[in-house]
Amino acid sequence: MTQTAQIGDARTAPQPGRRRFSGTVLGVAPFLLFAVLFLVLPTAYLFVGSLQTSTGQLTLDNFAHLTQPYTIAAYEASLEISLVTAILGGLFGFLLAYATIAGGLPKPIRGAIMTFSGVASNFAGGPLALAFIFTIGRAGFLTVFLRAIGLDPYGAGFTIYSKIGLEIVYLYFQLPLMVLIIAPAIDGLKKEWREASENLGASNVQYWRRVALPILLPSLLGSVILLFGNAFGAQATAFFLTGGFIPLVTILIGSQLSGDALGDKNLGYALAIGMVAIMGVTLVAYSYLTRLAERWQR
Amino acid sequence: MTSSFSKPRLLTIGATVALLVAACGGGGASTAPTVAPTAAATEAPSAAASAPASAAAGGPAAWVPDPTLLTAAKAEGGLTTIALPPTWCDYQDLLSGFTSATGIQINNLNPDGSSQSELDAITANKANKGPAAPDVVDVGLAYGPKGVAAGLFAPYKVAGWNDIPDSAKDANGYWYGDYYGVMSFEVNTSVITTLPQDWSDLLNEPANSVALAGDPTGSNQAVSAVWAAGIGTGGSLDNAQPGLDFFKQLNDKKIFVPVIAKSATVASGETPIVLAWTYNALADRDQLNGNPPVTVVVPKSGKLGGMYVQAISAYAPHPNSAKLWMEWLYSDQGQNVWLKGYCNPIRYDAMVKAGTVDPTLAAKLPDSSGAALPTLDQITKANTVITTGWPTTVGVTVH
Repeated sequence: MTQTAQIGDARTAPQPGRRRFSGTVLGVAPFLLFAVLFLVLPTAYLFVGSLQTSTGQLTLDNFAHLTQPYTIAAYEASLEISLVTAILGGLFGFLLAYATIAGGLPKPIRGAIMTFSGVASNFAGGPLALAFIFTIGRAGFLTVFLRAIGLDPYGAGFTIYSKIGLEIVYLYFQLPLMVLIIAPAIDGLKKEWREASENLGASNVQYWRRVALPILLPSLLGSVILLFGNAFGAQATAFFLTGGFIPLVTILIGSQLSGDALGDKNLGYALAIGMVAIMGVTLVAYSYLTRLAERWQR
Repeated sequence: MTSSFSKPRLLTIGATVALLVAACGGGGASTAPTVAPTAAATEAPSAAASAPASAAAGGPAAWVPDPTLLTAAKAEGGLTTIALPPTWCDYQDLLSGFTSATGIQINNLNPDGSSQSELDAITANKANKGPAAPDVVDVGLAYGPKGVAAGLFAPYKVAGWNDIPDSAKDANGYWYGDYYGVMSFEVNTSVITTLPQDWSDLLNEPANSVALAGDPTGSNQAVSAVWAAGIGTGGSLDNAQPGLDFFKQLNDKKIFVPVIAKSATVASGETPIVLAWTYNALADRDQLNGNPPVTVVVPKSGKLGGMYVQAISAYAPHPNSAKLWMEWLYSDQGQNVWLKGYCNPIRYDAMVKAGTVDPTLAAKLPDSSGAALPTLDQITKANTVITTGWPTTVGVTVH
């Protein structure tokens, strides 16, 4: 997407010229090469594999398999958890980022929050799962502490090995990621705009509705989509926390590709193509929404 | 204003897709089915520290390699094994024992790999005679025929071939059973003071106490635990559904902890009862060494055996060393090393008759008499029922 847009721009540039065009191609070549090697080729490989049996014959069985109750359950679980953590992470991440940046916090605190966000957003997988298990698992230190003061979360029915538990763990990296990626957009909100709207008699609500939100909306949507993809593609965290108990698609794919209980690789490829398709639909919906938002700004 | 946001937005799209594809591709990397949290790093010291393989008294004569095969193997300059965790069935002593008996150095690839990753490694290195191509594999029973169908194995019959039961080997010698374990309860007795003796006892355990050592949609050990539970509660080798029903009951009673248990979670009390193969459970017990105390119980009913098989790669860079390795594994001495690692070696019955089993090692093995070894068809069927039924029967429903 990016590269075609740039090539197009170069062609219609005010001073067209061959040399300039080839320079542009040279500039995007590393990216194109990267995209082909790590995006296009793997996806093509998945797609071809998903249309084959384990012995290489052409088949649609793998895709037919996607309608089985257990694969549908997996897609539902993945979608729900990704949506919930993207929306909650997006909302609270935005609020935290706004409070940090526009709220006039002292510089050191702002620096500390951004640094923490950078670290936490990259903390995932087995280590994150174990950290939560040993903190608020059944024998975690926080659980033991709470029990000692008479508040037993597990007695009250809470467990970290549940859908809510997994969502809490996901939020640990989703929320800070939102802070990081939305921060530049919030930085771009000029103080003068608020002052101008206030001078013209706008209320706080009007300022948000007519000025700030329309400007931020494309960034907000894009960030939430990124969070969605981040959760949708995650595997290790959920695997180490709950095994196959919460049957995410990524876990099923892992079972097919590298399990030792008779996995079927080609079915794994088909499951992955299903995820690519869902992501594709999401991105189309996203670009439609952004266009709508941009029209709204005019 | 819009234009200043368009760039990050496009980056966002690219990043999202890249992220998704990366996650899809790399997703399985972490699914190694290990109960025994092993340490490749500690392999050398612990191998050196433990006694030489056959030193235990009373047992078998030391293995003497066939001189012709030994000469041919030595000329090849090494042996490449794959996915042999040092503490799994005491492979560390088998590896060091082979080297000290033959002088051939072993390169053990990817110690925590799965059966599938072993076959993948052969496939990926068909044309490669370098150090990344495995000579021999040790895979789950179901992967024997799978490897034959893909043309990945070369036939070979070891000296003790006739001692291996017919049901546990390929008639043409493409693969052969090596050892088995029995599904057992690994219990942290500082948390659980009354030992469960049978599957039905698990239903009376406290909340959040029973866990599996893998994911039942992908790990052979976890699938086998579910299956064994079913056999112990009304199912059979041909009917795995009761196992799913049993776990649904455990889950409804909030006894089941769906975390993937490791020796660390056993030790912390997070998963005081773990269902695992005897050899993994006993290796955990020895590794924790009383802190906390762990007892391994073989349930009274539903004794399910799980077998692994050996095979030589059809593309082995060191075919003679591979044959020599097999002779070592199936020698009386080699079989006793597996026994030391709490694995039931496949020539056990014949060796009992011949009096070549080390009695002190045999005494340490939990009583697994009456354990059922399923056939390949039964395994395939049960795997399908459990891996596909688990998400809908026991797993979280999202609505």
